[in-house]
This record gives sequence, structure tokens and C-alpha cells, in this order.
Amino acid sequence: MGAMTDPRPGGLTCAEAMELAPAYVLGALEPAELATVRAHLQECPEAHPALAELGSVVPALARSVPITAPAPDLGARIMAAARAEAARAASVAALERPPLGDASHLTEAVPRRGPNGDARPEPERRPFAIVQLLRAPRWAAVAAVLVVTVLGVWGLQLQGTVAGLTAYRDGVTAVVDAAAAPGARLAVLRAAGGPSGLAAVSSSGLTLVVRDLAPTSGRQVYEAWLIGSDGQPLPAGSFGVGGDGIGRLVARMPVEEAGVVVALTREPGPGATTPSLPVLIQGKATGA
Amino acid sequence: MTELADSGPVTSPADPNATDVADMARLAAGELDALEGLYGRYGTMAYSIAVRVTGDPSMAEDVVQEAFLGVWRGASRFAVERGSVRSWLLAIVHHRAVDHLRRRRPTAELPEDADGAPTPDALTLPDAWDDVAATLDRQAIQRALDAIPAAQREALELAYFGGLTQLEIADRLGLPLGTVKSRMRLGLLALRAKLTVGGPGDNGGHD
Repeated sequence: MGAMTDPRPGGLTCAEAMELAPAYVLGALEPAELATVRAHLQECPEAHPALAELGSVVPALARSVPITAPAPDLGARIMAAARAEAARAASVAALERPPLGDASHLTEAVPRRGPNGDARPEPERRPFAIVQLLRAPRWAAVAAVLVVTVLGVWGLQLQGTVAGLTAYRDGVTAVVDAAAAPGARLAVLRAAGGPSGLAAVSSSGLTLVVRDLAPTSGRQVYEAWLIGSDGQPLPAGSFGVGGDGIGRLVARMPVEEAGVVVALTREPGPGATTPSLPVLIQGKATGA
Repeated sequence: MTELADSGPVTSPADPNATDVADMARLAAGELDALEGLYGRYGTMAYSIAVRVTGDPSMAEDVVQEAFLGVWRGASRFAVERGSVRSWLLAIVHHRAVDHLRRRRPTAELPEDADGAPTPDALTLPDAWDDVAATLDRQAIQRALDAIPAAQREALELAYFGGLTQLEIADRLGLPLGTVKSRMRLGLLALRAKLTVGGPGDNGGHD
């Protein structure tokens, strides 16, 4: 990275890395060698076409094996294990959030209007995880409760991680749903080594979810911008981020062209009309 | 991948990967049922690979289960990766199978987790490569494999199906490491050539 080019990214020259390429694509490196090749590939700006050339043979090797039919119920067992794990993740998230705790992750109208400026009646603010459990079959709920007792000792860190993952997955669900609308476009938001996320842009607005954001403090917010072909950034809405690093936004606004760039900045307070640089992440909405 | 954003019906029977990508998007959105579709299409192939690597039907079942759960957990990361869903999924199966095999081997170097206990979260997702033989069937691939020099085929099989590292292969065959490296490289390139140049059909009369 930077102006100086490292002749040995990850501790290997390209030639040394490519000498290990056959074993790398076949999964036959010692753990230490594997780590150095991975580091090289991550840090080296070169394209390494030889690697893709060798690697493209590997799927054929996988498909060369004699066919052996699995037990007829293996698929059902796998689905049961997946459902149990989903229920477990939901119940751990439910444990982490008291029923009347911060529900910002589930209120869809994230562009906040001010403390009491909204006349809408307070809807039932159940944590989404409990809602999910109620929708799950009863056996799943029972299994989840059993697992919760076991998980009780796992500690807060794991609970926080799982809750964050669940919140993120919920956000992704909202984005994918929004992207299913006619004419909607999807944008992958990325920055090297920074936060990442997904956004859907349709004629009626923007839905986005981002993870690995630094928590906001005080009046600080993250502001989403839509940049059209005229290059003018339009503020789309703002949101705060808690300890799980997950940010979500559902902004209803008319969007005239779908092929816009979605960008995110951090602002000292809500209501910014021009973005404070740097742009943290951005992505272009693409699609049919 | 832009397929995710296509409006209208996503599944076109002409492109199995479109169906797969749609299922991955549903999985990423938390729709577990999509996993059933993927298992229906690739469960048998996955199990066949796991049996070939582990040689143990019950371990192979564990491998397939872990791999499909890994596909589900990694679904949201798939969209930004290269390669087809099928290749990615089968690479995960292979990765898990080799992992199981190495854990069983007393001399193998284990990843750093307490007492060698498998940590469910340590499921790392392997690279997905383009599939040079995407449209070829098993018999065609097998013919191509039979047509490369035996010493190269042996090196590829010990590495990919035997779960041996290149050092272990050199040790087992009593060869210098450099020889093993070059046999693996030449074997992959020879197989690639057989799979791409006019297909392996010319070799049909072989044996």
C-alpha cells in the first residue's frame, strides 16, 4: 500500500507465491505456507492470472468422483440443524435485549424526526428476535429455550456478536426485499478494510444496511447521500450506530434515476446539506 | 453480483447458476428454505466428494452437514465473490472433508483451538474458482484425468483427495519436494489442456 511498492507483499515475491500456487489451489499447503500465500494475495497489487488458470481445474477434480447416494434423510437432518441454529441465534439476541430496550434496530422509519415530533401511536416495540420466535414452529421455540439455558454461560461477547449478526441479517432482508421492487437497483457498498454494506435504490427511496461502523456519540450521525449523473450529492437520511456497529436506514423519497451512487459520510449532527469528507463507503446502484 | 438486482423472474432454466444465485440471495435474507433447493441440486455430489476424501460414510455425513450450514452462514458473503455457486459450494465440502481427515490423523498439524476441539465458528470459506469444465460431465472429466501421465495424476490425487500436504506427499513417495511441486503444476496444466482443447472426446477409445 502507499507510494512505495513492496517487492515482497506478505513476505513473498510473486514468483515465490506462484511456486506455491499448485498446492494452494489443491489445498495442500502447510498451515504456515498457506498463511503467507494468503497474505501475499491480499497485499500484492498484481493480478496473478496463473493462479486462476490452475484453480479453474479444481472444480473439475471435485466433480470427477464416483457418485455415492447419501442417506435419504440427510437433507431433512441438515434442515433441522439449520432451523435449530436460526432459533438459537434469535433467542440469544432476545436475551441480550430487554423487551423495552433500544428498539432502533427494528423501527423502520430511521430518519428520526425529533423526540416527540411524531404523532403516530407507539406500536408494540417488541424486539424483532421475539417476533421471529413467535413465528417459528413451537418445537423450534422449545429447542431454542433449551439451547438458551446452555448458552447462558457463553458470556456477553458472544451474545453481542450474534445479536449484531442477527441485526445485520435483518437489515439485509430489508434491502433484498426492497431490491425486489420493479426497477429497483442494488449497490454493494465497500471500502478497503473498512465498513461494508448493501443498499437498494428504487423510485420511492433508499434502503440500506452497513456493518463495521464506528459507534456514534452525542449528536453525531451517519448520513447517506445519493449522487446522480449531475454529481450533486442529495442527503437521503441519517442514523446513529450503537456498539454492534450495524447501521440501517429506510428513507422514503422520490429518486428520479436509479443508476445513482450511494455514499456514506459521518456528520457532526443531523441535517447536513453538503457531505463532510471523507466518504466512508460508496457503491453504484446497478441492475437490469 | 448484479443478478441479485434483476427485476422480474430471476430463474431461467437455461442457466442453473441463476437459480443458485437466487437461492443464495434468499438464504442471505434469512430464508432457510432456499437451502433445501441447494441441497436438492448438490447434496449427492457433495456427499460423493466427502465419501471419496474421508472414506467414511458417517464422517462424510458430518462433512456435508457442516458444509451446508457453512453455505447458509456464508451466504451473505457469496454475492461479492467470483465463481459459480456450485464450485463455491463443492469447494466448501472439499475443504471440510480434508479438515476432518487431518483432524483424525495424529501427526497432522491442527489449527489453534483448545484441545483440537472443532470450533463451529472457525468455518472458513475457501476461494471459488471458475470452472474450466463447467459443462462437462463426470465421465468426460474422468477420461481426461485418465489421459494425463500417471505420476502427475498420483500427485493430484494424493493432494486433493488424500488430504496430504505437498511435504507429506514428498515424504510418502520419497521424492524431493521440488519434484512434487512440479508434478502438481504439470498435472493441473495437463488436465486443463485435456478439458479445454476440443474436450476429451478424442480419447474415447482409450482402454
